[in-house]
Amino acid sequence: MKARVLIADDASFMRQMIREIIEPEGYEVVGEATDGMEAVEQYEQLHPDLVTMDIVMPKRSGIDAVKGILEKTPDAQVVMCSALGQETLVMEALQAGAKDFIVKPFKPDNVLSTLAKVLEKKSED
Amino acid sequence: MGLDMAKYRRLFLEEAAEHLSEISTALLALEKDRGASEGIDVIFRMAHSIKSMAASLEYGSIADLAHALEDRMEGVRARGCIDDGAELASLFRGLEGLEAMVAVVRETGEAPPPQVELVESMRAESESLKKKALS
Repeated sequence: MKARVLIADDASFMRQMIREIIEPEGYEVVGEATDGMEAVEQYEQLHPDLVTMDIVMPKRSGIDAVKGILEKTPDAQVVMCSALGQETLVMEALQAGAKDFIVKPFKPDNVLSTLAKVLEKKSED
Repeated sequence: MGLDMAKYRRLFLEEAAEHLSEISTALLALEKDRGASEGIDVIFRMAHSIKSMAASLEYGSIADLAHALEDRMEGVRARGCIDDGAELASLFRGLEGLEAMVAVVRETGEAPPPQVELVESMRAESESLKKKALS
């Protein structure tokens, strides 16, 4: 079965890049959110198997959005998208319940292996 | 896996132009009100976004300057306002530097040369801000 993914990033550039990396590998992108508030709303509507969540976004930060999602769905699978110099924020996101992180600039192999690892772990639980 | 980098270069030019315009508007707002928190947040986020896009396209010189501006704004965010006219002038220089570099990409399709002095002066200002905050 195709894993259903919600991509949350305020930059169209990044959303398209993730989509282009994961769709050929069989993932279905069910939604794109452009800020943290939309990410939480779309998660509740779409119930994706996994979310890729940018950390720095308007309205609600990625970390705040992770907390919002996990508050209602404690077993949600969220992978953070971070950039160089955001180690502290990544730690905060992981402590808040994010499952893993990928670092920009994205390396396709790294993105795919991280998503696969998170989904595999979920299916084992 | 090969991504269509020409497509991402076009996207970068479109999004960077929008982001730089938003930074400019925010700086003008901060000129009038040095505590305009929305403007501070916008500049931080736009610089962050330009940094990530530039790094994805291996425009290291743009990523470096955007990173320096982002770090500079992190200090401003922590303080909650622009300190003085000199700080504002430094942020305008950062904007102008990024505008010039993005123009090079638009005109040549190549990575622009680094703006070493500007990046170093912004980094030095960020460091000095951090030390001041800790003292």
